[in-house]
Amino acid sequence: MLPYIIRRFFHLIPTFLGATLLAFLISQLVPGDFVTQRALEPNVRQETIDRMRAQFGLDQPVLVQYVRWMGSLVQGDLGMSFSSNQPVMNVIRRPIQNSLYLVLFATILLWLMAIPLGVFSAVRQYTFGDQAVSAVSYFGLAIPNFFFAQVLVLGLFLFRGFTRETFGYSSLLFPVAGMTSNGWENFTPWHQFWDIMWHMIIPGFVIATASIAGFTRVLRGQMIEYLGSDFIRTARAKGLGNRSITYKHALRPAIIPFIAGIGALLPSLIGGAGLVEIVMAWPGITPRLLDAIQRQDIYVVLGFLVISSLLLMIGNLISDLLLAVADPRIRYG
Amino acid sequence: MRRLFLSLAFAALATFAVANPFVWPAAWTVTPPGEAEYGGTLSTGSLSDPRTFQPVLQSETNEVTDMMQYATLLTQGPDSDEWIPYAAESFTVSDDGTVIDVVIRDSLRWSDGEPITVQDYFASYILQTDPDTGSNKYDSWFLNDVQITMEITGERSLRITFPAPDRLAFSTLAHFPVRDDILGEAYRTGGADAVNALWGTETDPSELVFDGPFMLTGFQPGERLIWVRNPYFGSWNVDEAGNELPFLDGMIHRIADGDAQLNLFLAGELDLFGPRNLDDIGVISVAIQNGDIDAEVIEGIGAAGSSQFIVFNWNLESNPFLQNVFRNVNFRQAMWHLVDREAIIELVYSGAAFPMHTNVYLNSPFWVNEDVTTYDYDPERALELLARAGFSHRDGQGYLVNAEGQRISFTLATNAGNAQREQITQIFADDAQAIGIDVTPTALDFSLLVDQLLSTGEDRPFEAILIGLTGGGRDWPFGDSVLTCGGFLHMFNTSGDCLTATETLIEQLVKQGRQTLDTDAAREIGFEIQELEAQMAPILYTVSPQVHTAFASRLGGEHPREIMAGAPVGTRQLPLTHIR
Repeated sequence: MLPYIIRRFFHLIPTFLGATLLAFLISQLVPGDFVTQRALEPNVRQETIDRMRAQFGLDQPVLVQYVRWMGSLVQGDLGMSFSSNQPVMNVIRRPIQNSLYLVLFATILLWLMAIPLGVFSAVRQYTFGDQAVSAVSYFGLAIPNFFFAQVLVLGLFLFRGFTRETFGYSSLLFPVAGMTSNGWENFTPWHQFWDIMWHMIIPGFVIATASIAGFTRVLRGQMIEYLGSDFIRTARAKGLGNRSITYKHALRPAIIPFIAGIGALLPSLIGGAGLVEIVMAWPGITPRLLDAIQRQDIYVVLGFLVISSLLLMIGNLISDLLLAVADPRIRYG
Repeated sequence: MRRLFLSLAFAALATFAVANPFVWPAAWTVTPPGEAEYGGTLSTGSLSDPRTFQPVLQSETNEVTDMMQYATLLTQGPDSDEWIPYAAESFTVSDDGTVIDVVIRDSLRWSDGEPITVQDYFASYILQTDPDTGSNKYDSWFLNDVQITMEITGERSLRITFPAPDRLAFSTLAHFPVRDDILGEAYRTGGADAVNALWGTETDPSELVFDGPFMLTGFQPGERLIWVRNPYFGSWNVDEAGNELPFLDGMIHRIADGDAQLNLFLAGELDLFGPRNLDDIGVISVAIQNGDIDAEVIEGIGAAGSSQFIVFNWNLESNPFLQNVFRNVNFRQAMWHLVDREAIIELVYSGAAFPMHTNVYLNSPFWVNEDVTTYDYDPERALELLARAGFSHRDGQGYLVNAEGQRISFTLATNAGNAQREQITQIFADDAQAIGIDVTPTALDFSLLVDQLLSTGEDRPFEAILIGLTGGGRDWPFGDSVLTCGGFLHMFNTSGDCLTATETLIEQLVKQGRQTLDTDAAREIGFEIQELEAQMAPILYTVSPQVHTAFASRLGGEHPREIMAGAPVGTRQLPLTHIR
């Protein structure tokens, strides 16, 4: 397998170069640049605009800018952020880390909810329960995340009204925004951990529900296929109990595609949790990336893209390897 | 006995000389002197992370650098446009108005207890005037491309010399110090690069020094800024009862976008919120009525410090017909009569906006010429003016045409994503269509729009644009770059030359006004500029949105209602804010 990994690794290089060049060219297609935004301030002189452009190297031809950027990228330097005048890595590290927490949590939540639901739908095919699970999970798929988050926040406010009227309790059940509580920096590590978990529940639930439909439908299909197969019939004939058949013999092969999909989690981690992060003020990738796009702070945007394409490629590699581990029929030579 | 009296008097004088703090006027707060209590933490919002902690580099407003740029020599209070000494104890202006001598207070202190000295103010000047540091104050140190200079003239005195008398001189003296032994020393040893390498957002807050009422103790990116009271601020800032300021123990900025801030305010986790529109006000009012939060909301405290207007492109060599139309004053006046401000205010802003007739932002009412020629919505009058411009017949489809049968057809662009501007262009296009002018509203990416607007030469790539401007001060709101023919924001004509006598005259008046130190005389010149511009109608001003505020009832010390306003005046002074 090692030669296979090495070969795959070398394949990554041209792919990576192509991806970054494309990203760079697309970022240059956008009219204007970082300095354009300042030009609408009546107190700024044209000379200053020109000087800033030269300072940031924005007056150079696109290819020169790309080669310079690539040169420093090879040395592990993602360039400088125009707006904060510091290395891009400093700017993007924390958001990536924060998005990672949220997406990991949401993924665990997804598995915890989707596996039992998928199994339930498969063993209770066409019952009311099956239909209800489908209906609810399609609702999760159809409703946009940012809107669902707002609906849940509204629900929290309404629930507060209810608890205040009924029990005289006027605190919110879950936080409506942010990743930590005020004073978090003075908490004990354990308390800090729980505080973040507590803040993750609403955004994590929103993200998880978006994927539940797809996950349960595929798992349901896989399960039905395996439950009808010969080796299950043999198992039944040998007198195995329903629980053992469902969870030990049918679920294990049915879950293989999802295990292989763990690798694909990496790029989805970097993709961040999307607009939920903005609605819930989660300090992740999306708010920072959108801000950089709006300001045309291109090296920050490219920094996110570079890390994203790297993770995508590594994720694909891991997926392939995991597949070989999970499924004995697959061998790489 | 006499000697004792004399020594007591001397002692009293000496005390006065040593401790000569700035006394924050009681007129700036609703709380009477002596009634505010110490303690408590203010929780407020911020839309995005600070991008640097370095006060010279700052290319935008940011909460951290604001707190380092507090000890300005002069300042403007919320109740008047007059400049008053703040970190300065006194100042004198030479007879010709070109030299200003300033003496700073001897009680000024940084947050680490070190005195703020004239060297600190001078270091700030040196850093700001080096183009390599990239300070956004750089341009303010030039008058007609000649540099304004600063020198140290004594232990506590500075001299600022202007190449010519300048109305904006005092705003140049809203000059803040930087630590000479840190930033100044870095500059002397390593130049601008060394300064720019200091105090990025990774810096441990304990290494930073502040001259404002709070000092930063923590920064959690994307989440919050944590502040505690600056113990040395009170050495030179007291209220009228002699209490050292600020009253609050600390402050927290929660970093969140507008919607999330609203949610936090409704959850009782923010004390301050700026409602963006009447929807926000409605939601907050309901929460107050239901008893969910204990807060106050004030609708329409004033106008925003911005303008919104339609501008036609006079440099359209490739389309001589349209260029001639746009250069025709009758056409432009007719178009201004088609701007239905009432409809815009009702339909776009639900009533929360003011009509705008001149280039002066409505939050500077002193400078607004109330008697200026105005163009109210009047399609009949527009038709008369268009007839004068040669468009009196209609073609088969009902469009107005000239003798050659040419109809007026142009594109009106605005920036995509700004729903309000997109609606305004649509309302204008509908009204124009109704009288036979073919206007196509379109929405473009902001950068593309700005690129088109700022392009120069005889043939520019747009026809008409709806956009807005912000920025500018309270001393002379007539920007050179906007109103002089060579200015790069002279949006309707960037050929570099004045195309009409009125443009030339306005250019002269702008220069003359900036050099007129007498405020009433300058105001007269400003009024004349507005009248000339109104008659020429190169830019059709539309409406200015209102600004609103909401704050938790536990918060005291806001401005009295009559001086409460949008930026730059604001709704409260931070040092006078307290918890009830």
